Amino acid sequence: MFFKLARKNVTRSMRDYAIYFITLLFGVCVFYVFNSLENQWVMELLAEQNSDYVRAILQLTDVVSVFVSVVLAGLILYANTFLLRRRKRELGTYLLLGMGQKTIAVLLFAETMFIGLLALVFGLGLGFFLAQFLSAFTASLFQMTVDEFHFVFSWRGVGKTVLYFSVIFLAVIICNCVLVARQKLIRLLQAQRQNEQIRLRSVAASAVMFVLGVVLLAVAYGLLLKRGLLTIDRIFWLMLALGTAGTLLFFRSLSGFLLRICQSRKRLYYQNLNMFVLRQFNAKINTNYLSMTVVCLLLLLAIGITACSVGVNSTVEGNVERTAPLDMTLRLDDDYFVFAREDLPDALEEAGFDPENWLGDFAVVCRYAVKLDEPIPLAEDGRELNDAYIMSLSDFNALTALRGEKPLVLAPNTCGMAEGTEPESYGKPEREAWQDGALFSIGGHVYAPDPKVYHTGALYTSEIDLSDVIILPDEAMETVQKETIWLRQYYLAGDYAEGVDQEHAEELLWNVWDETLFDQVEERGSDPDGSSAFGLSLSTKQFIYLDTMGTKILVLFIGLYLGTIFLITSAAVLALQMLSQAADNVGRYRILRKLGVEEKMRDRSIDIQVFLYFFLPLLLAVVHSIVGIKAANDVIAEIGKLDAVASSTVTALIILVVYGAYFLATCWGSRRMVRER
Amino acid sequence: MEPILTVSHLQKYYGGRGNVTRAIDDISLEVLPGEFVGIMGASGSGKTTLLNCVSTIDSPTAGQIVIDGREITRLNGKQLSRFRRERLGFIFQDCNLLDTLTAFENIALALTIRRTPVGKIEGRVRETARLLEIEDCLNKYPYQMSGGQCQRTAAARAIITNPALILADEPTGALDSKSARLLLDRFEALNREREATILMVTHDAFTASYCHRILFIKDGRQFTELVRGNKSRKDFFGEIIEVVTLLGGDSGDVL
Repeated sequence: MFFKLARKNVTRSMRDYAIYFITLLFGVCVFYVFNSLENQWVMELLAEQNSDYVRAILQLTDVVSVFVSVVLAGLILYANTFLLRRRKRELGTYLLLGMGQKTIAVLLFAETMFIGLLALVFGLGLGFFLAQFLSAFTASLFQMTVDEFHFVFSWRGVGKTVLYFSVIFLAVIICNCVLVARQKLIRLLQAQRQNEQIRLRSVAASAVMFVLGVVLLAVAYGLLLKRGLLTIDRIFWLMLALGTAGTLLFFRSLSGFLLRICQSRKRLYYQNLNMFVLRQFNAKINTNYLSMTVVCLLLLLAIGITACSVGVNSTVEGNVERTAPLDMTLRLDDDYFVFAREDLPDALEEAGFDPENWLGDFAVVCRYAVKLDEPIPLAEDGRELNDAYIMSLSDFNALTALRGEKPLVLAPNTCGMAEGTEPESYGKPEREAWQDGALFSIGGHVYAPDPKVYHTGALYTSEIDLSDVIILPDEAMETVQKETIWLRQYYLAGDYAEGVDQEHAEELLWNVWDETLFDQVEERGSDPDGSSAFGLSLSTKQFIYLDTMGTKILVLFIGLYLGTIFLITSAAVLALQMLSQAADNVGRYRILRKLGVEEKMRDRSIDIQVFLYFFLPLLLAVVHSIVGIKAANDVIAEIGKLDAVASSTVTALIILVVYGAYFLATCWGSRRMVRER
Repeated sequence: MEPILTVSHLQKYYGGRGNVTRAIDDISLEVLPGEFVGIMGASGSGKTTLLNCVSTIDSPTAGQIVIDGREITRLNGKQLSRFRRERLGFIFQDCNLLDTLTAFENIALALTIRRTPVGKIEGRVRETARLLEIEDCLNKYPYQMSGGQCQRTAAARAIITNPALILADEPTGALDSKSARLLLDRFEALNREREATILMVTHDAFTASYCHRILFIKDGRQFTELVRGNKSRKDFFGEIIEVVTLLGGDSGDVL
């Protein structure tokens, strides 16, 4: 009988429960999607290639899930208390009819269970489909051809979701019991009669506040753009405080300011219900500006996180092209000069990977780090350039030839420059000196820069950023003194031969590198003091690709997870506030109806009010995040640029779905609430 | 003269299936243009139901209501809203002003929802406010005004659209006697100077004594009718008291 009453209560007051239900639904759905990752086929596919990242992603989602569940619990409790407040009179009636408080608690328990189960079932269903979508999306990021697309139902994800939400529901039930036990019957019955005192403030004051708020925001923006996002010190916190205060003042004064502007435009003000809508908006701002500020900041977080995480993604993509021009590069550090150039391919062949066989074209080149005979003074602050990386012209040409570039020519006593891939922030003394036309003195000769010999882009594949290299004529190499060389590195670089099984070649190469290659290298070169003199490192395009992809997916998943949760939170808070105000407005709309205002016009005025409350925080949050993302771009520029179009499209899409759903539900709920009674 | 309001054989039943409450059981009446008509009756006599039916807020079970030549029982929801907006003016017991709007804006609202040209709004509001002697409080909010001022603002809102018929439901119910007298004076002035037709429901004999004609209702039927003619208000008041006593309403309803 209780269950029946509970079910009837829920279905009857669906308009009140709609927002509550949507919040639960979205919460369960997002929670399931990110906690079922482990069982998603795309993650299994990923784990085959790079299990480290998969583990990192799973661990991080675990940690973030705890935080998310706390946020969701707070939100659901808030929504629940709101609902209970709306139903005070109903609960009072139950008490009046002689129902005990315990019975009412049981009734509320049944109701919570009912709606909770409903939300769990539908949320898991929705999450199930969304998880497939996320998998397909991830696969498309990897440019994977999906031949084993299958639907996965993650029992672990379900279990975790059910567990976490059960705890949340338990908290809700306890909260309900406490609330009911504390209520006095008279208060419950008279709840509706308590009216809110309306205080109205001077319009001039709000104009002053508005200007002040805008000025504060402008100062904060200026600081942010000038200093960038990552200098965290006292001024950073001051900037945050200014921004928050500016936002607060903005919303505090906005309604009064809007009112004044519209009042001076009589044609607008005295049209339909505009006057009423603006006055409503203004009258409620005292209770609403705080929540609008919080919502605006939460939205800023959501937009910022989502946009940056999606954006970082597209920057990483270009990164691979930039750092991995060739399929593979093997580096041998041979600082003791025990090795000959030909030894490297031979050692590789004997270890079990015949480069002649597996690789199409390949080159073995040598790079030195040498001490300059004469230090080159740098333009500013007395710094000097003491060392440089050098490479012979024929080695350089051999590398560029692998990618079909034309060989360059150097006149005697001139030198060229091959740019590395180090980020701008490293400072580039070599390039600086070279571009200034400084003379490089190496091995007793002096070389002048030849601007015609200048190469951009990585010469070979490397996980580590490459430094700039000075290109010297071949004959110069013979003059280089052994003592001035402090690093000698051989590189074997090439693409896999056409027609070979690239996956197999890759696998074989890594095996060789891991197992037998080092022995072969040691066999060939004797080490002078008995200890190992060699260092071997292998970089392949595929490895770099997967590595960057791992970072990409990690950032993307966590960003999407947090962003969506913040979005849900802010939208739900707004929606609940709007609904509780719609309940206060019932009387006002009754008057309007008696005056002969058509239903369409009344509905429109409600929609406009809801729209203002939803749109204004979003608008300011978008402005905030445009400035913020611009500042963030300077940080992210280290690894590329935010892809503005892609990231804003995805972000806009998520906002549209979540925020839009809450907006529509609020319009619908407010309309219904005002229409009856 | 064509009557502005004709109610013929109006019935309004609540409930159904052997459990019928006859709130109005056959009432007919006519109101001529420029008349100031009162409706009196004890609580539960059906006077408010009658007013609700006339004001299109409620729909009758049977019978006809013709206002200004239009049969309003046949109008649909949208037409009703339009009719209410353009042909009727309302004054309620609790003045029903919007608390978020100033007096000026409350009065102007009746015009803006009829899409009156913006240029005319200000002049008309001030003119109407002058007639009701509330020019001083036009910029005040309802909570800053006295009950009488609120009620006169509501009256201004009701008449500013020049309605064919003004419907007043216990307009003095929540006012002290001084404010009530002031309001009723203004009603008389409206009736005299603007030839406004007023239909007022009340159970207060003093308020009723301002009317030209009073219909008494009992148990959903017309009981009797009093016409003031050339009598003084004091004499008329006496006659009203006599009928009220005869009706047997609660003594509390008399004064």
